[in-house]
Amino acid sequence: MALQAVCRVPVKAHTKLDLAEDETLEDLKSVSSILNDHCSLQIPRINGLENFLTDENGKEMKIHFAHGTTTLAFKYNGGVIVCADSRATGGNYIASQEVRKIIPINDYLLGTMAGGAADCTYWERVLAKQCRIYELRNRERISVAAASKLLANMVYNYKGMGLSMGVMIVGWDKRGPGLYYVDTDGTRTPGRLFSVGSGSLFAYGVLDAGYRPDLTDQEAYDLGRRAIYHATYRDAASGGIIRVFHMKESGWERITEEDCKDLHERYAAEKPETSRPSDEKYGVL
Amino acid sequence: MSILEYNGGAVIAMKGKDCVAIASDLRYGIRLHTHGTNFPKVFEMGPRLYLGLPGLLTDTQTVHERLKFRLNLFELRENRPVSPKTFGAMVSNFLYERRFGPYFVEPVVAGLDEDGKPYLNVMDLIGCETETDDFVVSGVCNEQMYGMCESLWEPDLEPADLFETIAQALINGFDRNAGTGWGAIVHVIEKDKVTTRTVKTRMD
Amino acid sequence: MMSVQTMQPGARETAAGGPRQRYFYPYADNGGTVVAIAGDDFVVVASDTRLSSGYSIYTRDQKKTFQLSERTILGSTGCWCDVLTMTKVLRARMQMYRHEHNKAMSTGAVAQLLSTMLYHKRFFPYYVSNVLAGLDENGKGIVYHYDPVGHHDPGKCYTGGSGGALIQPLLDNQINYKNQENVTPEPLTVKKTVSIIKDVFTSACERDIYTGDAVAIQVITKDGITEELFPLRRD
Repeated sequence: MALQAVCRVPVKAHTKLDLAEDETLEDLKSVSSILNDHCSLQIPRINGLENFLTDENGKEMKIHFAHGTTTLAFKYNGGVIVCADSRATGGNYIASQEVRKIIPINDYLLGTMAGGAADCTYWERVLAKQCRIYELRNRERISVAAASKLLANMVYNYKGMGLSMGVMIVGWDKRGPGLYYVDTDGTRTPGRLFSVGSGSLFAYGVLDAGYRPDLTDQEAYDLGRRAIYHATYRDAASGGIIRVFHMKESGWERITEEDCKDLHERYAAEKPETSRPSDEKYGVL
Repeated sequence: MSILEYNGGAVIAMKGKDCVAIASDLRYGIRLHTHGTNFPKVFEMGPRLYLGLPGLLTDTQTVHERLKFRLNLFELRENRPVSPKTFGAMVSNFLYERRFGPYFVEPVVAGLDEDGKPYLNVMDLIGCETETDDFVVSGVCNEQMYGMCESLWEPDLEPADLFETIAQALINGFDRNAGTGWGAIVHVIEKDKVTTRTVKTRMD
Repeated sequence: MMSVQTMQPGARETAAGGPRQRYFYPYADNGGTVVAIAGDDFVVVASDTRLSSGYSIYTRDQKKTFQLSERTILGSTGCWCDVLTMTKVLRARMQMYRHEHNKAMSTGAVAQLLSTMLYHKRFFPYYVSNVLAGLDENGKGIVYHYDPVGHHDPGKCYTGGSGGALIQPLLDNQINYKNQENVTPEPLTVKKTVSIIKDVFTSACERDIYTGDAVAIQVITKDGITEELFPLRRD
């Protein structure tokens, strides 16, 4: 200390050094605070981010998030069927043809994915953590109602900030099969049959035409698969692989994962010749 | 969204050895909604002359019909078939007449000239011509198709190989674009014959 | 006199040193392309070495891959300052993991960490296009690709960056055998993969002005990482 005083080194210099190290660590923790608290997203202190999506040269720099989907789920006497396509588009570019849009939360819960892909995967992962904690605390599985409410409450905190997700939470609990629709507007509603995404209207058409509560398992799988297939045919933002999952009392099961191309050929072969599209071409005089 | 992306659609053309090929997808859609799967964007304008018109499909039809009209007049007046180069100039002039209210199409002219030499030409929507010696692409997924062409194309392809190359370039290209696809049609133009084939593709 | 008469009140104020609107551009697009292809017991990651902004080139010698561990490499393009910040934080977090658990992070764990870090900035994203490549616990090659806010997909081959759209369809065709009928897929070898990568970069730099100069190809196998620099056109 005396030497320090002689050399006129401020006493603070050492502590400052420690502090600097701490600050670095604190900085690091704050720029990735999400790893400590999964609901702590960085909120920018500036408004109107959409206004500066050009670089300094004035070149447009649109950030494309993965989007576009057809998903569906319906209850019937044998449980719940969950189906989805597998295409992710950013603008018109197909970013991926093999996305997993049916996300296992645990052995008795499935979530689907429509809207922002990152939003859905992230929040359903956080939900999986919450559900596990619930199980450890309460020594029983979480109900579908509770799980869907956890998710709805989490995303409600960010309402109006641009999150985009429309998900179905499907599960089996004490009350039997469960199916909830949750979105980022704050909607959470139970139901018997839902379809979500850009191709949902096409899927609804097929689904409503073929739905009965007393479908056999095979009929139910085929109905779900056909509904998604017809959506991929009409909707440009849906396609790829069609996945079919079945929620039973014993948990979920992966039934089939088939390429749209194979399904198209199979379904086309089933059609009678007369009902196939005519050879008449548009735009030809 | 650009008006040129409203309907989707892609056209590609390639030169081979004494032959030329032109192909397009078959989708007719409005934004994300697919209405029809039988809308070729390539039209026969003469025995060895084809015109591709990707872009806004209402303009595709109008431009096709009006160019057919001009072409017929030309042939009546001159009493000879039009050469691809002259036809290219005709298309370019036609588009430039609408310089400040353009038709939203980016035409491709492909054919064999009087000497049987391949001719290829691509224009922007106001008629700026670019003649190339290898391949041209036009429409919404041009980046994807350029990537395919740069790797797959080579000089002096025989008609059979040219068909395979152009089909692969088109199909793999538009499979990475949401607004194109649903079948493809390929014309391979040779001196004494034109082979037209529709190609099965993914329908999603 | 004409001009004074036609002047808007706001414009006059500006001329007199009144309030002025200033713009803030937090993002830049510095271009670049990355490609990663996974084989059974190896993975190849490649990036071009051009860094540019608009029509000017900053450097011809900046590869866009970051070695994160013995068996994981990240390829990252987009806004270069975001890339640097993101990789800095990622490396620091990986070091913290190492000190906490006394082992290196597995490729799968890095993939999830990166996703979470990207999602942290959901409302002010890093403008980056990431491709993460590595060997998994069993020594099998795996590639993940990301959107700017952390959605990720595992797969066999992905591209990212300015030349991505040019390259991806060719990889679908040549690596994943899309639209090829009656072909029996043969397993990839390092040699074949490297030659495909050279081909696709040569093609991409013909049409993409942000890709060029050279391509840095890194191969990860159980024996370590090797690197090769392959020249591309420089115009």
